[in-house]
Amino acid sequence: MWKRFSSNIGAMIGVVLLLAVIGIALFAPLIFAHTPWQMVQRPFLTPFSMDGLPLGTDTLGRDVASQLAYGARVSLLVGLVSTLVALLIGVPLGALAGFYGNWVDEGAMRFTEFFQTIPNFALAIVLVAIFEPTLASITIAIAIVSWPPVARLVRAEVMSVRKREFVDAARLAGLSRPRILLTQVLPNTVSPIIVMASLMVATAILLESSLSFLGLGDPNAMSWGYMIGAARTVIRSAWWLSFFPGIAIVITVLALNLIGEGLNDALNPHLSRRGKA
Amino acid sequence: MNTLRATTFLIAATFAAPLAAQQSGGRLDIVVQPEPPGLMMGLVQNGPTQLVAGDIYESLLRYNSDLEPQPSLAESWEISDDGLTYTFHLHDGVKWHDGEPFTADDVVFSADVFLRETHARLRASLAYVESITAPDDTTVVFQLKEPFGPFINAFEAGTMPIVPKHIYEGTDYATNEMNATPIGTGPFKFDEWVKGSYIHLVKNEDYYLEGKPYLDEVFYRVIPDAAARAVAFETGEVDVLPGGSVENWDVPRLTAMEGVCSTGAGWEFFAPLSWMWMNNREGPTSDVRFRQAVMYAMDRNFVKDVVWNGFGKVATGPVASSTNFYSDDVTQYDYNPDKAKELLAEMGYGGEAVRILPLPYGETWQRWAEAVRQNLSEVGINAEIDSTDVAGWNEKTSQWDYDLAFTYLYQYGDPALGVSRNYVASQISKGSPWNNVEGYENPELDEKWAAAAGMVNAEDRAAAYAEIQKEIVDDVPVAWLQELEFPTIYRCNVKDLVTTAIGVNDGPRDAWVEE
Amino acid sequence: MSIVTVILSRAFKAFVTLLAIAVLNFCLLHAAPGDPAVVLAGEAGAADEQMIEQLRERFGLDQPFYVQLGKYVGSVLTLDLGYSFRQGAPVAQLIAERLPATLLLTLTAFVISLVLGIAFGVAASARVGKASDSLLTTLALLFYATPLYWAALMAVLVFSVWLGWLPGFGYETVGAGYTGLARAFDIAKHLVLPALTLGLFFMAVYMRMTRASMLEVSQLDFVKTAKAKGLSGPAIRRRHILRNAILPVVTLAGLQAGQLVGGAVLTETVFAWPGIGRLMFESLAARDYNTILGVFLVSAAMVILFNIVTDIVYRLVDPRIGAKA
Repeated sequence: MWKRFSSNIGAMIGVVLLLAVIGIALFAPLIFAHTPWQMVQRPFLTPFSMDGLPLGTDTLGRDVASQLAYGARVSLLVGLVSTLVALLIGVPLGALAGFYGNWVDEGAMRFTEFFQTIPNFALAIVLVAIFEPTLASITIAIAIVSWPPVARLVRAEVMSVRKREFVDAARLAGLSRPRILLTQVLPNTVSPIIVMASLMVATAILLESSLSFLGLGDPNAMSWGYMIGAARTVIRSAWWLSFFPGIAIVITVLALNLIGEGLNDALNPHLSRRGKA
Repeated sequence: MNTLRATTFLIAATFAAPLAAQQSGGRLDIVVQPEPPGLMMGLVQNGPTQLVAGDIYESLLRYNSDLEPQPSLAESWEISDDGLTYTFHLHDGVKWHDGEPFTADDVVFSADVFLRETHARLRASLAYVESITAPDDTTVVFQLKEPFGPFINAFEAGTMPIVPKHIYEGTDYATNEMNATPIGTGPFKFDEWVKGSYIHLVKNEDYYLEGKPYLDEVFYRVIPDAAARAVAFETGEVDVLPGGSVENWDVPRLTAMEGVCSTGAGWEFFAPLSWMWMNNREGPTSDVRFRQAVMYAMDRNFVKDVVWNGFGKVATGPVASSTNFYSDDVTQYDYNPDKAKELLAEMGYGGEAVRILPLPYGETWQRWAEAVRQNLSEVGINAEIDSTDVAGWNEKTSQWDYDLAFTYLYQYGDPALGVSRNYVASQISKGSPWNNVEGYENPELDEKWAAAAGMVNAEDRAAAYAEIQKEIVDDVPVAWLQELEFPTIYRCNVKDLVTTAIGVNDGPRDAWVEE
Repeated sequence: MSIVTVILSRAFKAFVTLLAIAVLNFCLLHAAPGDPAVVLAGEAGAADEQMIEQLRERFGLDQPFYVQLGKYVGSVLTLDLGYSFRQGAPVAQLIAERLPATLLLTLTAFVISLVLGIAFGVAASARVGKASDSLLTTLALLFYATPLYWAALMAVLVFSVWLGWLPGFGYETVGAGYTGLARAFDIAKHLVLPALTLGLFFMAVYMRMTRASMLEVSQLDFVKTAKAKGLSGPAIRRRHILRNAILPVVTLAGLQAGQLVGGAVLTETVFAWPGIGRLMFESLAARDYNTILGVFLVSAAMVILFNIVTDIVYRLVDPRIGAKA
């Protein structure tokens, strides 16, 4: 499996890019002498015009490079945690629906459809606005709007795995149904879930930045979306303020997608890509 | 930058007969932001509504940039020597936009019936009024119970808009169907409102001033994004950016364009002054030393130069320097982090968290809060920003759920109208974000505020207000930040747009476009 | 099941879903801090308790929560979306004024993304492994990874400000007095940038999906049989593969209608497009509950409509599918 993954050039590029972003995020305090909020120089310094401030300064004279590094922490954190929360909602729901079928399936799927009918970004906006923008509320809002595809995917996978011979064998061996679900069925659905999760992290990062763009970012946490939201009004006079965080988002999302595709090819060589919904 | 030229124009327009002959015709596209909730000015008086409806509705007076009253619906007026009787003589032959004649009865109905019910700010001034009568069709008399110095400033269009009696008498004002198609006496008539896009006003052909207005039509354009508004101005889609419609950072770039003028004038009546409410009731902000420390910790000049791009002026106290009765004989709080640290050490500040509530009005205010948070954390105050939208801000301030909260208020030309409401104990009441939200109580000063409001002689009032300012600045009930200046940006071929103390709000009456 | 019964059963489900959405959102909004009466009073520039009390009474906010909820659900059942006190107009009217703009934007973006996505996906799959395939897939990945609003800002900068080819915002030229065809052309010109920026992201999604699906189907036995029968490559692709490969794409497109409508909020903000997305965003800050709820209901109905349409398309493409698909 690793062999197949590592021979995929795109996926390896993705891994290198992502590792670089993670590295910068982890070591931000070591690399940069000042926090992203400190006003260190005169505002609107262009990139490469002054030593120590390679990416210039923002509207208040704060170090853009430092903001970018600290922003990586927040963007990655929101992406990861919200994906985890979405999995925590979607996986059990989809597994129960797919495994037990009948009214459980019907109920769970109606519930899922219900959430897919509400325009998800609009719901996220409302959730963040009324619970006030903090990292926690943003993360939860993103999770709430992104779990339905997980539930659908897991349900479909569980339904197909359920019919396989080893499940029948386990049943004949006298294992209880919950036990079969947990030990026999679910482990066989892990790989498509991993693929989907890697793509969801990417989507979550995009969502967070969109919310920030509309002014719904956490003002105490520097994120890439927050930077773009703050810079969009000066886009004509200070392009670098929105350009660099924009590129950072593109690179990270791209890396995650490349990895996701690589994983998909490596883990499920025969599986359809239907799961990417 | 063409500020100089713009200012020259202003002076020419205000004090001398215009030299160039005004040209009739043409249209003006003005940005309005955000979209007003309604145009019936008797019901809604927020900024965007006044900007648009200021062309539709009028009041008895207008005010020049020195805040001196000028004729509007009233041609002339007298105030009795005891300051109790205000007599207004109305213009002849004024008609409502639907053709009905305008009379003194409309004024009495508006002030005494309609606005008493709908207009909270005017209601406070009307409390001094004994009676409003119309001896004949063109005369209105306001009889006061006791002298009220600032009363002559209450006849501005947003403060006392005159509404048509024949449409509103005996109806439920808020749900009257005519609110959607407002009828006023002003120089422009309502034509069409395409929600989310634009409001179209057309010339009032029957306007009572000969030859006015010069413009054929005015479009108020709704463009929700600040960057898009700047683009709209650059590409020539709009001609006028009223103060505050683009972020400050864009102002130098736009005004540097060819054929673009700007002026800071037209805000004298409002004289917006910004400050942070500091919760006087509880937490570290209840200690006067902490409040003084906040004043010393803030680099207010940095904010003025960087966040506001040099527009405005660092505030010295509660009264704006552009209004009457300002005094600079007060304690000055210069940027002094060491002094702030000393004060904090003296009071024994133990690092309690302090929540800053920014004003949710765009990037400028967000950056401002970030700068203040940084300043405060540099002297050791554990500050963080509470994020919220307009509704949340209203709720938190009016329910006193904050430590430091940004705000700015209009002064309405007189301390008794726009300043004292934020400092006297009688104005402490939950539920409103426009009164003494900080909870400052000083009975001695309360008496002085009341006495100053009732003085007839301007010199006595000036002395009284100087004394009040000196005392209150030492108490620092709020952290005064800055006298705000919102430059109006417009194409230089638009003439005579800003000629009054409320600027673009009633500017289109006299404005014209040079071909 | 016939298409009629399918539509009927879908309509019933849709009705239940919409009602549930009304209740859920009503509860959500009323849990929010921020009192609409205080906001409205605040906007007037001065507020006293008398005014706030008056407003509360007028909004019905002085009544217990369950009464308010009951009243709202009752009026929704009679197709009455209530009254917006902030805007002083019935919500249905406010939405009706703005809905055409949103429908035009989202439908155009939907069609563009689906048609272009499938076309490029097919093109890429036909040249799999070649340079043009890599180029298309890379481009799609880039569109996919670029934040929507960022692309929108850049598009305005380039095409509107620098090149001056297209208007950068708005729905039509204000006050130009165009009618008929001239007006349609004017609106179309304004539509280009917003519809493209909204559509590009989804185009990328559909293209990747189509490509993958095409490749997958082409491995199936019946395709091999067709090849063995000696049919030409393009003929097989058209007649056999595309038809089967397109099904999952159509399903996905239906499922993503919700995202498309949600994405319109961002697009409408950047391009000053007078649609319901912006109406909702602006009403949110004013806690104009009735308007927000109305927009939610109408946009959910739009999503359902998109779903029903894709469902019908699905059936037309593949008549074998039963109602349980």
